[in-house]
Amino acid sequence: MEENIKALLEQFRAIAGDPRKAMADHLAETGKGAIGMMPIYAPEELVHATGYLPVGLWGGSRPVTKARTYLPPFACSVMQQVMELECEGAYDDLAAVVFSVPCDTLKCMSQKWKGTSPVLVFTHPQNRGLEAANRFLEREYAILKEKLEGITGVKITNAALERSIQIYNENRAAMREFSALAAQYPQVISAVDRHAVFKARLFMEKSRHTALVRALMEAVRAEEPQPWTGKKVVVTGILLEPNGLLELFDRLGLAIVADDLAQESRQIRVDVPDGDEAPLYRLARVWQNMYGCSVATDTKKQRGPMLMDMARKTGADAVVVAMMKFCDPEEWDYPIYYKQFEAQGVRSLMIEVDQESTSFEQLHTRLQSLVETL
Amino acid sequence: MYTMGIDVGSASSKAVILRDGKEVVAGLAVQAGTGSSGPGRVLEEIAATSGLDLKDMAFILATGYGRTALPMADKQMSEITCHAKGVFFQDPSVRTIIDIGGQDVKAIALDDRGGIRQFYMNDKCAAGTGRFLEVMARVLEVPLEEMAEYHFRSKNPAQVSSTCTVFAESEVISLLSRGTAKEDIIAGVHFSVAAKACALAQRVGVRREVVLCGGAAKNGGVADAIEKELGAPLVVAQNPQLTGALGAALLAYEEMMRKERSA
Repeated sequence: MEENIKALLEQFRAIAGDPRKAMADHLAETGKGAIGMMPIYAPEELVHATGYLPVGLWGGSRPVTKARTYLPPFACSVMQQVMELECEGAYDDLAAVVFSVPCDTLKCMSQKWKGTSPVLVFTHPQNRGLEAANRFLEREYAILKEKLEGITGVKITNAALERSIQIYNENRAAMREFSALAAQYPQVISAVDRHAVFKARLFMEKSRHTALVRALMEAVRAEEPQPWTGKKVVVTGILLEPNGLLELFDRLGLAIVADDLAQESRQIRVDVPDGDEAPLYRLARVWQNMYGCSVATDTKKQRGPMLMDMARKTGADAVVVAMMKFCDPEEWDYPIYYKQFEAQGVRSLMIEVDQESTSFEQLHTRLQSLVETL
Repeated sequence: MYTMGIDVGSASSKAVILRDGKEVVAGLAVQAGTGSSGPGRVLEEIAATSGLDLKDMAFILATGYGRTALPMADKQMSEITCHAKGVFFQDPSVRTIIDIGGQDVKAIALDDRGGIRQFYMNDKCAAGTGRFLEVMARVLEVPLEEMAEYHFRSKNPAQVSSTCTVFAESEVISLLSRGTAKEDIIAGVHFSVAAKACALAQRVGVRREVVLCGGAAKNGGVADAIEKELGAPLVVAQNPQLTGALGAALLAYEEMMRKERSA
């Protein structure tokens, strides 16, 4: 592999593995701090427009001990990790934490935050299709904007917000391009590396991230694509971590050719639309236009057809369902799309994802069995 | 041509030697699994039984949890693939396999040619596994091999949780302290194992014939409970603990055939 690609991937891995340094660097360069963004969807553009660094809070991979005092064992793995980090004071340097509450656990977590940073909660409307829903969310964002202005001391002008929207749309487009490119170059971009590029996005100012992704893509495109002798899969779920699990994909020759992970491609699926409406209204439209996500109400249940379409377009041999341990919304979706897979003869495998895992032998058996039977 | 399949699980080590991919020359199990003396002992014992040693093997294929820690193996494959191969070899009418091993329960759906359509395994939880039965046998002070006798004497099986080994152990202790008959507790334990296994089987879709394999299949009480829970006839595999090693030996033979064809 070309040295430049290696160096670029190493940069992504370093940033993905050390959000604290990313925050410190941002502070040193801009004099501004960071604001935490809880999963799953939040209008990061608002935070970006203040000059503060939006930092995704998607858990970690430490042993869960202190969080047990506050959370039942059947709260999802991400929330267990977030609570553990809260208890350790890992988030106390954040100027605020922006909290969407699209599931029961997030609702409860937003009300029992143990860190010292102020929590800014907003609500997504469930019945997303109505115009009134969009107006409601626009109003929620207006309240959030006021709170952010109060905390940061920065007036968020329409011009600044429009600029941030443009930067984010460019980043989403670059990441969609990257995902498609990674599928063509699995020998160059491993499952671990692909994840690192997506994860670094959670901790980087987005125009910088876009520039780094574009540099990586240019370097990768200079290489000749090689035929892939392994298998190809689409992955779906909340997230696919820790790296030990992703390493199994690499070891078994399973290329991730597309994803529907909440932490990865769901974040880049829908752009903020252009138009003459106010920027907050258009930001709210993202939620209305979102599809294929377990927390975004979909009475037609289009996630299964969406996943099958992704598999068909990418030539994937199977869909791997990365089921977040104790994630109700994801568990409820599964039987619906599994039935659709079976009806269409689409191969699938469900694996349980727990960020705390350090032993992957059972997962190894499952993934190896999938490879052997494709 | 001789091929060997070695299946090193969490609780036991098994090996099978095949002649020409058809005839079982030897097969045996040692009740010690990965990380123990088990793998070494099973190789010694099968050499003694068959009069053949590793040098006589054209190909050795390893499976089970300990499959990656066997330097003598030419290849390793997952136990799901190997059990499916072994059971289908014994009985081509099988369409659903329930395998209860030391720390895993698996349900495997096969197509008409023995290919794997779908499979499910238990998550990181010992409920419903061989380890669960061992824990209960210890608490009840009944040897594992006698549990079936108790099971068939039960008139009124007790209710035992199928969600957690630790909770189930507490339940069994309180049943004992309330004076519940051991046969009823043991039958309850077997129904608890059956509930877990059948839930996985329902996920893959139960189609006849349904075959039970793995070490727990040697316990007739478990087989009886699964049959009742499924509401369908259940066939216990021949030498149910050895089907993974048998499948591995068959796959080893196929590897050799492939090599010869491509040579």
